[in-house]
Amino acid sequence: MQGPLIDTLARRGVTRRTFLKYCATLASMMALPPTAGRAMAEAMAAARRPSVIWLPFQECTGCTESITRSHSPTIEGMIFDMISLDYQETLMAAAGHQAEEARQNAMKDNAGKYLLIVDGSIPLGHDGAYSCIGGRSNVDMLKEAAAGAAAVIAVGSCASFGGIPKANPNPTGAVSVSDLVKDKPIVNIPGCPPIPVVMTGVLAHYLTFGSLPELDDKGRPKSFYGNTIHDRCYRRPFYDQGKFAKTFDDEGARQGWCLFELGCKGPVTHNACATVKWNGGTSWPVESGHGCLGCSEPDFWDGGSFYKALSAPADPLKFAAAAAVVGAGAGVAVSVANRVKKNTAKATHETTTLADLEK
Amino acid sequence: MSFDSIPIHVVPPGEPGLTGNAPPLLRELLEMVRRLLETGEPSAIDLSALPLTPADLDWLRDKLGTGEIGVTLQANGESTLNETACPGVWWVTHHNEQGAVTSQFIEVAFVPDLVKAHPRDVEIGSEYLELLVSDL
Ligand code: SF4
Ligand code: SF4
Repeated sequence: MQGPLIDTLARRGVTRRTFLKYCATLASMMALPPTAGRAMAEAMAAARRPSVIWLPFQECTGCTESITRSHSPTIEGMIFDMISLDYQETLMAAAGHQAEEARQNAMKDNAGKYLLIVDGSIPLGHDGAYSCIGGRSNVDMLKEAAAGAAAVIAVGSCASFGGIPKANPNPTGAVSVSDLVKDKPIVNIPGCPPIPVVMTGVLAHYLTFGSLPELDDKGRPKSFYGNTIHDRCYRRPFYDQGKFAKTFDDEGARQGWCLFELGCKGPVTHNACATVKWNGGTSWPVESGHGCLGCSEPDFWDGGSFYKALSAPADPLKFAAAAAVVGAGAGVAVSVANRVKKNTAKATHETTTLADLEK
Repeated sequence: MSFDSIPIHVVPPGEPGLTGNAPPLLRELLEMVRRLLETGEPSAIDLSALPLTPADLDWLRDKLGTGEIGVTLQANGESTLNETACPGVWWVTHHNEQGAVTSQFIEVAFVPDLVKAHPRDVEIGSEYLELLVSDL
């Protein structure tokens, strides 16, 4: 698969105008000036794809699914296919020793230049024995592959923050990429799974400008994770008016009121769902009537029940929730009531029961 | 399945009105048009990057009016590139295949880039024509 990207896209029926349009939108989503769309299109069209090695560790393959199958066939998926993806267990034809050899060759031939993508967390317990590929532990493979990489992209909440494997009581001793790799630029693209276009955005930025996009304090691209779900939620006016759905089938729910009291974690979750949406822009969780789970924040699985309203400050999802909650009288009242409940709940990890849902 | 069969109807909360963010854009457009005339340099405003309400956008569209040319592009969803009553000022809206607006720009250019055929594509076209001619 050699030659510039645009030729490969053309063979797949993606015209130059389609690609230009895609890049214009991508630049807009990344809050780059409109001229950047053109620059991106030119740079990406001509780009010889960089070698990419993708290591799947303790993961569920949901991240790969999100990117390659979000809906058929997306330009995201195609760009992805077309990157010189030299190692990706799920997508590659080779298997066994052949596959491992491809990885070794790619690392040797492109030393210092390849991009390393990681999905899944890395278990450290029992010397990493919980997850091995070809007889080698994940931690071992990560260290080896990271040494020769130009940059590391941690895809999904597991690679970024440890995710579900790291959830209390973390039986395998799972950690994130940035817990282990200290001497390479790392981009975190959290989400369970992450939004496909964020991935393409980071790659486009890298191909166009030769650098990684601007990151926030948790290593996430600011352009996609700069706002909270709540900042951009279309139900926000209801929140501001103190109109909350109390159950999933009351009048408020039917009227599309704010889902804060049903446990929405939007106020403390940084992600682009509210603007980019899911399934090709069809809808997103809050639009389909369910609160945000906070899947792109560290330790979201241990934040108590998904159906308990955030307390202020939320714990252990301890972000600047207080600031978000102040301003709506009803919100404050909820938080106080909730803190009382919290105090009585001794367990750090509460199991969601049917009663929570029926609350 | 259409959305109508889902029994949750999302009532849009009362339309927020004009914010006053639109009028300064007219000034910016004037600058951009002048630059186009003087240097030939095209430019664009990314409307989704600005805090504009639907009412603001309506106001802007209304002020700019409708020109003589409207271009429709079918590329991974529909895009419309409509010249406004000010020649050289184009209102560009991109939709995805589901019909949702993915981005919106005001472009200042003699012809928006997207409308022009790329030399490489014209080459491909000429090869096809050659084929047609050789079959005559
Ligand atoms: S609490 Fe959730 S549903 Fe309510 S406005 Fe914020 S993000 Fe939207
Ligand atoms: S709405 Fe919240 S939980 Fe759902 S995908 Fe987006 S960030 Fe994750």
